Amino acid sequence: MHVTHRFLAIAFALAIAMLGGGSASAQKAKIGVIYPSPIGEVGWAHELDVGRQAIADKLGDKVEFLKAENIPEGPDAQRIMNQMASESPKLIILGSFGYMNDGLRLAAKRPDVDFIHASGYKTTQNFGWFLARNYESAYAAGLAAGYVTKSKVLGVVAAYPIPEVLAMINGLTLGAQKVNADVTVKVVWLNSWFDPNKSQEAARSLVAQKADVLYSLYQDTPEVVSLAEQLGVYVISTSSDMSKYAPKWYLAGPHVNWSKFFVASAESAIAGTFKGEGYWGGMKDGCVSVVAISHDLKPEQRKVVDDAIAAMTAGAFHPMTGPVTSQDGELKLKPGEVMADGPLLGLNWLVKGVETRIPK
Amino acid sequence: MMDTLMFVVLGTLGATTPLLFAALGELVAERSGVLNLSIEGMMATGAAVGFAVTTLSQSHGLGFLAGALAAAALSLAFGVLVLVCLANQVAAGLAIGLLGLGVSALVGKPFEGHTISPLPKLNLLGLAHLPILGPILFGQDVFVYVGVALIAVLTWIFRRTKLGLIIRAVGEAPTAARDIGYPVIAIRFGCVAFGGLLAGSGGAYLSTAYTALWTEGLVAGRGWIAVALVVFGSWIPLRIAIGAYVFGAISLLELSIQGLGLHVPSQFLSALPYIATIIVLAVISRDATYLRLNRPASLGSVFRTDG
Repeated sequence: MHVTHRFLAIAFALAIAMLGGGSASAQKAKIGVIYPSPIGEVGWAHELDVGRQAIADKLGDKVEFLKAENIPEGPDAQRIMNQMASESPKLIILGSFGYMNDGLRLAAKRPDVDFIHASGYKTTQNFGWFLARNYESAYAAGLAAGYVTKSKVLGVVAAYPIPEVLAMINGLTLGAQKVNADVTVKVVWLNSWFDPNKSQEAARSLVAQKADVLYSLYQDTPEVVSLAEQLGVYVISTSSDMSKYAPKWYLAGPHVNWSKFFVASAESAIAGTFKGEGYWGGMKDGCVSVVAISHDLKPEQRKVVDDAIAAMTAGAFHPMTGPVTSQDGELKLKPGEVMADGPLLGLNWLVKGVETRIPK
Repeated sequence: MMDTLMFVVLGTLGATTPLLFAALGELVAERSGVLNLSIEGMMATGAAVGFAVTTLSQSHGLGFLAGALAAAALSLAFGVLVLVCLANQVAAGLAIGLLGLGVSALVGKPFEGHTISPLPKLNLLGLAHLPILGPILFGQDVFVYVGVALIAVLTWIFRRTKLGLIIRAVGEAPTAARDIGYPVIAIRFGCVAFGGLLAGSGGAYLSTAYTALWTEGLVAGRGWIAVALVVFGSWIPLRIAIGAYVFGAISLLELSIQGLGLHVPSQFLSALPYIATIIVLAVISRDATYLRLNRPASLGSVFRTDG
């Protein structure tokens, strides 16, 4: 794998060197984008690139892009970033959590360049982060899962127990329990960011333990979705619409769209009004939505899902609204209490009904 | 609980097959005295090429063959480096392995996100519908049985045939083998190519039969586990197979235990397949003399035809 990265990095450096030779592009504002994985047909990098495309659509000839995909976190990313900065772009979009420290150092050295960074938590004057409220779409998908499950067992295939992932599992569970009180949720932690075979095995093991709805949580590739189609169990994915990999058994597609935020960031960076802030986009902001909801839901069930989405979009409903009890039976949110953003960003517990513990 | 056990037993044969192919291939190469560390890259090449050809031709058989041959070609390149140019086997193996990973990314790039139908399960003798034993013994896909047959065939070759003796002689004492008239370099080439063929088959099995998709990084370290299994299995086909099956079974058990909600840290569970495999193989291979006898004496050293 590393060889290709190196090769790409060198090719990219050459491309930049050649670009730098031309003067025709001098008037265009440059925007750098760095993705951790290849831009596939679905998944994380794909959705980031949809956001980049939105900038291109909106600003047209006024911008040009310095694009690097499949850049591993670490020295390669640092080199690419520095090369990009030497081109004096207005904005650099850092598409992975692990680019944070290198990005912060560069941002401090180059106050003329603005940065937005995926999944981070640190801000400076010219460095901000962006994150999606995926727990909202997980809640809506959970409602659908609560309706279709016969075994009352949902199975989640997840990589690592980070707060964002825990919030999504809680969202799914609370949604399902809302319409089907006895639903329980089993989770398999892969302890690996990327191993398609292992995620399929995990999915199989969950189905063997009676799960009849699978939640493929942050698998960038569609292996769990296509396996669910073979096994004949419903499936929910993350980030992208993966319904074409499971035409019959795709239940719902929690979806992210960075377009609005990317366009706004590009415009403010070009105008010189950029402020380094945190952006936590939800349904209200048009950042999170649910697509390709299964037609297997009955009209009245579909209405409940749609109403919940409408309420979250209007900002009238928050999935983490009390009473919410943790796995240990502790009352975490009193009736009517809504979880604040701060604790939610650092979430470290799972709700009652999730059978698997968080690995310590 | 029964479902969990059934899942583990049923899944183990399939999950282990790629490892088994790769490890048995490496065994043959090492028996002839060549340490090939490029298994991971050859598996990746086999997986990418196998998937590409299966997608284009809609034939699993053709894809499997293409994947195996592509990896064999790569292993021949390795053979030229270490057997003709007399390069260091460790360094050349690592280099060819990295090359293989690069080739796999290049070949597989246009096919990322495609899906194919996985290989159908067989119904041997019509017995796959028997309760419990049916699907385990008679309802696997064809390569699972090929893998099991390979264990038997290789055991027989190394124990009972002249070919096995010749390969062992070449691996133990290449100079002596040459002096009594065996073409050491040619035999080693054959063994290395066979190893490549099997590693490629293991990779192709992963992408075309098991996961039924290609993405960069699909092999995820299985090639290195195969190399380790050969050493821990003390170069004996049956022991390597036991190690591979233990590893496969525990990795599936790990996932099941998590789903059961037992309070065992999942990091420990993730380490469990490695721990268990090491313990099992250390116990069955605890006789140090036996181990030394089985280790090919010339493993990893350069052989000069004029020496």
